[in-house]
Amino acid sequence: MKIVTILLIAMITFLTRYLFLHPGIPLRIGDKLSQFLNFSGPAVLTAIWVPIVFFQNDQVNLTYNNPYLIAASIAIIVSIKTKSVYLTLAISGFVFILLRVFIPATS
Amino acid sequence: MTKKYIYSKVVKKGFIDILPLNLAVIPWGILCGSLAIQHGFSIFEALLMPSLVFAGAVQLVVTELIANNTPLTTILFTTLIISSRHFLYGLALKRRFNNVPGHYRVSIAFLLTDELFALSTHRKAFQGKLRLLYAIFTGSFFYFNWLIWNIIGIVAGSYLPDLTTLGLDFAIAVTFIALVIPTINNIPTFITVMVAGVCSIYFKINHWQLDLVISSVIAMSCGYLSYRLIEKKINKKTRDKGSVK
Repeated sequence: MKIVTILLIAMITFLTRYLFLHPGIPLRIGDKLSQFLNFSGPAVLTAIWVPIVFFQNDQVNLTYNNPYLIAASIAIIVSIKTKSVYLTLAISGFVFILLRVFIPATS
Repeated sequence: MTKKYIYSKVVKKGFIDILPLNLAVIPWGILCGSLAIQHGFSIFEALLMPSLVFAGAVQLVVTELIANNTPLTTILFTTLIISSRHFLYGLALKRRFNNVPGHYRVSIAFLLTDELFALSTHRKAFQGKLRLLYAIFTGSFFYFNWLIWNIIGIVAGSYLPDLTTLGLDFAIAVTFIALVIPTINNIPTFITVMVAGVCSIYFKINHWQLDLVISSVIAMSCGYLSYRLIEKKINKKTRDKGSVK
């Protein structure tokens, strides 16, 4: 059963990538639809990363012993200042590892 | 210059361009592989995910959903929404690969990730046949790299049961932060991101099964509506100015 599910998921991810590359599909989609889809990247990615940062053990953790929250705040600041993906990953990754070493895990 | 020389140059450039991205997905690949094993996937099923699905965000979210016995329609709908940004990639790349035969299009589509798209739209990208070679080489390199780190995750997950508490998921959060924040250069995108963030917390607190889908669709709608509103205002202003003159 899991295998069938995985195959169906693979079909969807492939179709979303292939649909508009297929020679028979007309080039244009409506302006409105393409403007709407323009927001799908920021919307989906944010809806994935925000819960990772704010939740610990299924509960919102807004305290200073949530290393995800502190390191993510630093990532946002570095990203705004430098716009560099690699600096953002490197600096906040380093901070996160330090915090994990010095803040005892709450779980 | 001989053909061979040019080809080796394309391959070299592809190798260097994709290398940092290959490194950035290491924690992610390990997490995907080990998560699948810890959620009771067989080794074959865990291998099938990166080999066929080949999408980090989908793999992570869907592994949890499958493990929680979520209804199939919810799983597939969530997959569709997470992947919906790829419609745009295909659309944007279509013109660049106009004269490419069908079977090459299939391989490019299969290899088309956020990372490959970012590279192929680069201003200094190769033209014509070389573009095709570049895309297929970098895409395949990235694919096999993804596969290898997933396999390492599967092996590690089978022997070390506590891998998910290491904080590897922070790599995902920070990758997305690094990808999203620089795109916030207008009000509608800012609104989209804020709404997506608030909704994702709200729906997760309330344990909605379709939390990711609902948050994304609400945020996209808010972004789109504010975009239309701003556009209307600008149009009105320019029209008013025109009538004064």
